[in-house]
Amino acid sequence: MATPTPDQIKTLEQSRQRLVQLTHSLASLITSLNQSDPLPSWSSLQSQASIISSNLLTLSTHLSENHELLRSISAYPAPEFPTKTHGNMLEQLLRTKLDPRVQDWVSRGRKGDANALAKPNNMLPGSVSGVGGFGNGDTGGLSEGDLAALWEWAPVEANMEARRRNWGGDFTLEERERGIQGVAAELGLRRTLEDDEGSSEEEDEEADEMEVVGVRKSISGTGFEFDIAASGAGAGTAGPEGVASLVPLNDILRYMTTGVLPGQR
Amino acid sequence: MHELLLFASVPAHQHHELLQQLAGLTAMQPRHRLERRLVFKAYRKPGLTNARGGTNQGADIVRLNKMLNGGMYYTQVVGPISEADFDTQRSSSGDPDAAMSGTDEAAGSSYDYENQPWKLEFRDIPEAGTRSTITARLTASATLPKGDIVTPMNAWGYSFVTEYVVEGQVFIHNDIVIFLHRVLQYPIHGQEPHEPRRQLPSFRDMSPLERTGSYILQAAITVQDGSNQELMRTAFQHLFGLREQLKSAVRLEHADRLSLDTRAK
Repeated sequence: MATPTPDQIKTLEQSRQRLVQLTHSLASLITSLNQSDPLPSWSSLQSQASIISSNLLTLSTHLSENHELLRSISAYPAPEFPTKTHGNMLEQLLRTKLDPRVQDWVSRGRKGDANALAKPNNMLPGSVSGVGGFGNGDTGGLSEGDLAALWEWAPVEANMEARRRNWGGDFTLEERERGIQGVAAELGLRRTLEDDEGSSEEEDEEADEMEVVGVRKSISGTGFEFDIAASGAGAGTAGPEGVASLVPLNDILRYMTTGVLPGQR
Repeated sequence: MHELLLFASVPAHQHHELLQQLAGLTAMQPRHRLERRLVFKAYRKPGLTNARGGTNQGADIVRLNKMLNGGMYYTQVVGPISEADFDTQRSSSGDPDAAMSGTDEAAGSSYDYENQPWKLEFRDIPEAGTRSTITARLTASATLPKGDIVTPMNAWGYSFVTEYVVEGQVFIHNDIVIFLHRVLQYPIHGQEPHEPRRQLPSFRDMSPLERTGSYILQAAITVQDGSNQELMRTAFQHLFGLREQLKSAVRLEHADRLSLDTRAK
């Protein structure tokens, strides 16, 4: 029963500050979810989530570093504590058990934690043999070893499977024989994929429409790329045939706005 | 309403390719658009409530006067037409010389001037300064009576300046309207007429203002409430996104502010 040293008070004060930060960032996430319409963009959500996660991380490091102190320390009311006016707070401080709601969270968390920890022990990476090994319907993820094995196995197998089929575009020969409509319904395809064989009549109709060339999603997901990087792109530059625009863009816009012919100014 | 714009000049040889690229990007076929555009110019200050009593309602009157007399602008009257409206007889004769030497447009076209719908399009001079990377301007439009438009426009204090035809393709990409267009001029026989043509010449006689046949690419977002910073910022970002996506094909840029100056001096 000694009064805490300044160091210990500092530790407590730090825990308090970190908890305050955490509640702030959680509250700001909640308000942004509740109030902004449309919902905030995914990037802002993600940055908020990462702030919260870093808050949690610092808090957890802090708590575990000062584990000894926080375990052993306990609160008791000094005679000069204003019990009459701050009775509620006193009760909160003197609780020995957690709030029932909090108790629920904690037990749920503990349970999840135990599940996650238990998994790798009974499923060693070495025990994986063939496809069946992956099929246990547990809710948790696969262990690292399983994932690695799966990644090693899947591409080869998928490639072999693909080679065994006779592909013609979006459907295999087997699927075409079974009837494309049925397959599409089976797979839940919402968009009608073009069957490029046996639909030449349709193609004729489409021939005079614009061809959709050379646009694909770039892998990085940042946008589109065009296969043909157009030469001579941009305003005023000479094209391959050496035809530069005779009238500058600004002059055309001026004519469109005020009817002043280019060169009349 | 506010309009945010980016422009690019597209050389004739790139036109077809760009159409295909835009069709791919927007996943839609181009919509053809053909418009008559009449340019009008304010010739006297609209609103004649000049200096009528400096009495009690002074402040309001002053404000109103300022609004009405603050500036005189060029404004456009736009009417949709179709290629069928142009003189078909002339082109079927297949003799351009006859067409050129022909007297004023003879009967034969199905164009009905009396039933031509019109729309008034007011555009303010683009906002100056800070956001010079994108052209932003105030716009307003209103439906006008059909047929002869010069009389009502004169009554409102606008005089006819000139007219031309805009021909092009429209794509919609999310909230962006992409308009790939060019300006066509009417064939001139001697003097430029002082009122809108009641008959349209053969479409083949229309000559592009830009003689190499280059097009203008215009990307526009219309924002209903220009004072809403959030909306404006989103619109800006979308336009910038499009500029990035089209970077390898065309260079979209803001237009010279003065070339879009609609103030009448």
